[in-house]
Amino acid sequence: MIREANAAAPPLDTVLEVETPEQVRFRYQLAGPARRATAYVIDLLIRAAIVIVCVLALGLAGYAVGGASIGAMLLVIFAVEWGYYVLFESLWSGRTPGKRAMRLRVVREGGYPTNFLDTVLRNLLRAADFLPSLYAVGATVLALDPRFRRLGDMVAGTVVIVEDPARIGAAIQISPLPTAEEFAALPARPPLDAADLAALELFLRRLGTLHPARERELAEIVAPVYARRLGGHRYADPTRFLALLYLRAIGHTRLRPDQPQPQPQPPVAAAGPSSGGRRVRRPRR
Amino acid sequence: MSDRASPRTQDEFVARRRADWDALAELLARDKPLHRLAPDEIARFGALYRVTCADLVHAQGAGYTSELLGYLDGLAARAHNLLYAAPPHRLGAAWDLVARDFPRTLRKNLRFFALGSALFFGPLLVCGALTLTQPSFAAHILSHDMLDRMAEMYSHGLEGRDEGTDSAMAGFYVFNNVGIAFRCFATGALLGLGSAFFLLYNGIVLGTVIGHVIASGHGRNILTFVCTHGTFELTAIAVAGGAGLQMGYALIDTAGRTRLGSLRAQARDLAVLVLGAGIMLVIAAGLEAFWSPSSIPAPVKWSAAAIFTVLLVLYFALAGRRRAAP
Repeated sequence: MIREANAAAPPLDTVLEVETPEQVRFRYQLAGPARRATAYVIDLLIRAAIVIVCVLALGLAGYAVGGASIGAMLLVIFAVEWGYYVLFESLWSGRTPGKRAMRLRVVREGGYPTNFLDTVLRNLLRAADFLPSLYAVGATVLALDPRFRRLGDMVAGTVVIVEDPARIGAAIQISPLPTAEEFAALPARPPLDAADLAALELFLRRLGTLHPARERELAEIVAPVYARRLGGHRYADPTRFLALLYLRAIGHTRLRPDQPQPQPQPPVAAAGPSSGGRRVRRPRR
Repeated sequence: MSDRASPRTQDEFVARRRADWDALAELLARDKPLHRLAPDEIARFGALYRVTCADLVHAQGAGYTSELLGYLDGLAARAHNLLYAAPPHRLGAAWDLVARDFPRTLRKNLRFFALGSALFFGPLLVCGALTLTQPSFAAHILSHDMLDRMAEMYSHGLEGRDEGTDSAMAGFYVFNNVGIAFRCFATGALLGLGSAFFLLYNGIVLGTVIGHVIASGHGRNILTFVCTHGTFELTAIAVAGGAGLQMGYALIDTAGRTRLGSLRAQARDLAVLVLGAGIMLVIAAGLEAFWSPSSIPAPVKWSAAAIFTVLLVLYFALAGRRRAAP
């Protein structure tokens, strides 16, 4: 709907950067359409269950009290249609049962919790997002927005974020472990900046999930670039070359056990603008 | 919280700080609001959140790997959401809305209320008048079946309906009328077009029905039935529709803001208006179900309608005004 990205903005990504009162900046993962749709379906089933149970109970009660039970049924349907989201999102700080199951949360764009009026607005506007049917307007607006907001989110100033508990993964390793000769062939401070290292890290982490042919194909695209940068470095296996390069750059020191172990040397600095400190070894669990 | 001496490598950093992160993750995994934790846990949570923020800043500065940054980002973000959760709700806020915020906001945005009223009451009066002067007009708007049913319904008045029906209708009025008002508001997000459509549509249908029933000679019945709750119900529809138009207009005339910013600036007013309209409609539904069809004599109903109308005008005009400076 509205373009917020420009040349100076960071690359398009599904994250929202927030600065807290503690002057700390961190990033939220924005929730995409599939995950939100799943949460919606869960909530829909719960709402349907509430209505069915109430209608059955009131229907039985209807023999005793007559027409009043029909009025009560309509009140229940009204409350579930318009009140379900408002109730849960204001009581559970931006979460409904469906959102909770999918680990989603509604927050204001500054990362703050929503207040009651925000919650009312974003959920009343479901009536507009739903048009002409099945959230067609909402889905279109959401797909065009870099922050995945539907109309209700835009009016209320909210976004839906993912709260997945992340893990610190295992260290990147290569097998067999590098030999001293392999390491010696590489400069102690390979000319890699932060972006190079991040790209290599992503690639090496995906090794287990790629087909070997695809893995080799990808490595063969990138390896010559770095080989040229090292002044025509020769290698047999492009994947292994990239792994060695990465481990050398982050100051990995563990070599094959039958090799003479070197003294741990100071880790190598990465020449990236964002890295004020040292590039160091991967964490180990 | 262990020592804060700067560790040399990421591995050392993780090894040294990991215990605190795990403790924080463990508190988060309980998935409880902060005030439900034990007092010492709350204190510990605050401290753990702060050191994790400090660790995140350190990790960002030291240029550690994106995976560790992602982990700390997520941990700090989840802790932030728990710590800065929405404040508990006050019942007093509901009273403030009724006593102060709703009438104030309505006065502030009077032109949209006036426009909403014009789009709703205008066609209502025009169609009512047309139906009265040209009896064939009603058939252009509604089917004969529908018109006959309406005329039949009011031919003997609704007085003396049994209580069960009253209660059933109360539910129906809330379900139907509040739903109409909310939809009338929400569709204003489409540049105001949805609100304008629903206002005109409801005005035309209502005017035609009332006109037709009067033309069929049951005018006294329908007007006596409608007069009391209509004051609240019809005004509330105009308020909700006006708020929808206001939302649409904010997208068109942005007053120097971005379109979203302009919309956002209206958000609070819009929510207050639509909540106020919702409360009016619930009052209207109660009256429509239990008072309007009761066997109370017509003059009493007319007097009540007059009193309610005066009170409503006074409420909109005066409630929530600040005391004049002495």
